Amino acid sequence: MDRQIRRLGLFMLACFALLFLQLNNIQVLQASSLANAQGNPRAYLKRVAAPRGTIQTADGVVVAQSVPSHDSLKYLRVYPHGPLYSTVTGYDSLIYGTSGVEQTYNKYLQPHTAPLQSISDLLAPRTTTDSLTLTISSTLQSVAASALGNRHGAVVALDPSTGAILAMYSSPSFDPNLLASHNNTTEVNAWKSYIANPSQPLLPRAYRQIYPPGSTFKIVTSSAAFDRAPNLATKIFPTLTALPLPQTTHKLHNYANELCGGSLAQAFKVSCDSTYGQLGLDLGAQKLYTEAQSFGFDQVPPIDLPLAAPSSFPKPATFTNQLPALAFSAIGQQNVAASALQMAEVTGAIANGGKMMTPHVMAQIHDAQGNLIKSYQPSVWKQATSQATAGAVSKFMQGVTQPGGTASNVALPGVTVAAKTGTAQIGLHNGYTDDWLVAFAPAQNPSIAVAVVVTNQPPPSTGSSQAGPVARAVLQAALSMKRG
Amino acid sequence: MSAIFAPVARASAGVPRRRTELGLMLLGALTTCFAYLLSHTATTGRLIGTSDVLLAVVALIPMGGHLANRRWAPDADPVILPTAALLNGLGWVMVVRLDPALALHQAMWTAIGVVVYVLGLATVRHSRDLERYRYLLGVGGVGMLLLPLVPHLGVDVNGSRLWVRLGPVSFQPVEIAKIALVIFFASSFGEKRDLISTPTVRVGNLLLPDPRVLGPLVAAWGFAMLAMVAEHNVGFAFLIFVIFLSMLWVATGRVAYLAVGAVLFVVGAWIGSLLFAHVDARIVAWLHPWSHVNTVGYQIVQAQYALGWGGITGTGLGLGHPSYVPVVISDFIFAAFGEEMGLVGTTSLVIAFLILVGAGLRAALSARSDFSKLAAAGLTAVLGFQAFFIMAGIVRLLPLTGVTLPFVAYGGSSLVANYVLIALIMRISNEGEAAKLSWG
Repeated sequence: MDRQIRRLGLFMLACFALLFLQLNNIQVLQASSLANAQGNPRAYLKRVAAPRGTIQTADGVVVAQSVPSHDSLKYLRVYPHGPLYSTVTGYDSLIYGTSGVEQTYNKYLQPHTAPLQSISDLLAPRTTTDSLTLTISSTLQSVAASALGNRHGAVVALDPSTGAILAMYSSPSFDPNLLASHNNTTEVNAWKSYIANPSQPLLPRAYRQIYPPGSTFKIVTSSAAFDRAPNLATKIFPTLTALPLPQTTHKLHNYANELCGGSLAQAFKVSCDSTYGQLGLDLGAQKLYTEAQSFGFDQVPPIDLPLAAPSSFPKPATFTNQLPALAFSAIGQQNVAASALQMAEVTGAIANGGKMMTPHVMAQIHDAQGNLIKSYQPSVWKQATSQATAGAVSKFMQGVTQPGGTASNVALPGVTVAAKTGTAQIGLHNGYTDDWLVAFAPAQNPSIAVAVVVTNQPPPSTGSSQAGPVARAVLQAALSMKRG
Repeated sequence: MSAIFAPVARASAGVPRRRTELGLMLLGALTTCFAYLLSHTATTGRLIGTSDVLLAVVALIPMGGHLANRRWAPDADPVILPTAALLNGLGWVMVVRLDPALALHQAMWTAIGVVVYVLGLATVRHSRDLERYRYLLGVGGVGMLLLPLVPHLGVDVNGSRLWVRLGPVSFQPVEIAKIALVIFFASSFGEKRDLISTPTVRVGNLLLPDPRVLGPLVAAWGFAMLAMVAEHNVGFAFLIFVIFLSMLWVATGRVAYLAVGAVLFVVGAWIGSLLFAHVDARIVAWLHPWSHVNTVGYQIVQAQYALGWGGITGTGLGLGHPSYVPVVISDFIFAAFGEEMGLVGTTSLVIAFLILVGAGLRAALSARSDFSKLAAAGLTAVLGFQAFFIMAGIVRLLPLTGVTLPFVAYGGSSLVANYVLIALIMRISNEGEAAKLSWG
């Protein structure tokens, strides 16, 4: 009988082991999907335990708050400025979840257990919510949005010395109030129409969409020359209307077939494609690629917003039998693509002596009693280039807003503005362009860097004509705020 | 001190064993007190509560069992009583947390359970005493099973006729019946072991034991099954069937019984699901709970939510919402532990039952007679399988059987019966260990 008793013991051990495995399956593997399941009342209870935390701009304008709703959900999420801040705030939807900072800082904004402050907190934890203060300036955000108007595109302005995002707007935008509605039909219909809309209003294009940066990329190409081939930085380039390309009979034509060349500073001022195409060929794929990497290309910007898109520069090997492509890549065309956020970072790095700061939209988090919970500490994302190179390229960019430069319309009275235009061809023959302007000011002691992209504009649009006035408006507002 | 509690003068392993037991009991009492403190302050926000006196009862009363062990079972296994007392204590904490009004009731049943345990050890001095009452226990067991069917006595609760109400007291006779039946099976199988192990009848290629031997047993089993089908109590029918089969197999070692039993079971379950809507509903709720979230699957789905919400470490005692699970206090108390103590808590419960099973089977191995071997194995199997069935039902390894989680779930009859059950295992363990010592 002892043999059977031992076997019975083994059998029961196996039963309990199976139980243990299934418990792991439920309480570990499936835990979060069960905890957040639609029918689980606990998620709802947690949600209505306290009003979700408020989100406000750096200057105290409330951009998201929860107000009593007198229905079973107790609190309604309200975005007082509708679409204006939705690129940053995102939405908080019952059905579709969260996006933007509503997602990134959800654990602070949603009701959660208060940190221990007394013995009774340890024994009977309190539920609380924290409020979020953004780095965004309401003035700059409004100026950026109205300057961009109905045109599609994005504006990103940041403080180059801290990485604090001062304005971030995408057009077209969406109204997060519709997605936060407690009316199921409103919510579903809004979502469906936003999803069906070909201009993708839900897409926060300022940081999640990449476009060919065109000639704004010449900032990186110039830095590559100073950093990796100093002899090229002083080279005098031939004056041409079009650059003959290797491995083909095609040529790289200058904008409007202008005749240009000379020193890099002269070529940069008028955005001379033939010169920069030649510079790209002279540098070689590896050097240009390495420089793009050190300016953050092919990396996800470490911003506190979800799913930021990495900008891209092709791998050196792809140019081996494609040297013409290298010339085009050097002027920000041909598979080179960047987000407005990335180009603002590139501009900020030049403004900040080569240091590219980690971009962020959170300034501070306070608890319900107003105590500071968390304060953003600026940090360096990358040492993009040396201080000397940053200074040299800054000089180039200051030339661009001088008379005869491509962004002379961005110049401001009494202050030196450094800028670069970009007019990237997107179709092969229809002449439509993505129009860029990146700038920072004051050039000697920069307090703001801005990148503007206006997408898919019909000819004869240019970066200067489309994006220039937007950037200028933002810079002007920022500088007068500083003075005021 | 030890002179008072160790009256046996002979060479004995008893004294160190009982010291180990005392240490474990104190540790268990401490755990219970700490759990109560956590859950009480979390639910009320205050340190002092109305049930504090009852806590002392629940934490300290099992010490009476320990004293009884010193007196009447000095050589018995030292982990069985502390483990049961710990499960009892944690169960009480959870019952009070879920429904404070039941604190007194459950504490009272704990006290009664321990008293019955002491009485059990004091009166059943030798396991062979039980064998003398074999037929009384057999008839009594079946009688207990039938009791709820008696008009005016039986009460319907949640569609099952499991309860008997006598004046102010109501209880589930099936909990007592399970013990009586195990003794009856142990005695019968033990005596007729040779007969039922030796095949004498040939049917086709199969050699079967003499039907005259097995006849009365199978009849008694069938009778019990029928009674429970009439009471709509599938869980205990299944449990007693599994115990019957396990004991038959332990006694004979013949796999043929398991095979025949499995076939019988599948046929029975199939017929049951065709005849009884509640059996069918349980199978549907087991296999497809998510497509019947608002009907038959509601309870099991709510339990999954509770378990998932608990995750690895749980919300903390008193900080979850286990009341969303229907009948969480009795059938689904395991889910409440899963929510508030997480995987850590549920695993601890599983391990506690595994410890009880291990100790019980150790007693069976050291037992000296066929009867006591079978009885210890059977009693352990009842305890272990009952715990396994309800926990496995809650995590959807098996269909939900609606038996209680021994020592943990709310309910007096279950608590008292399981204290009797471990008293008998302790008795057998004591005999085996004492014999080991005297044999050198």
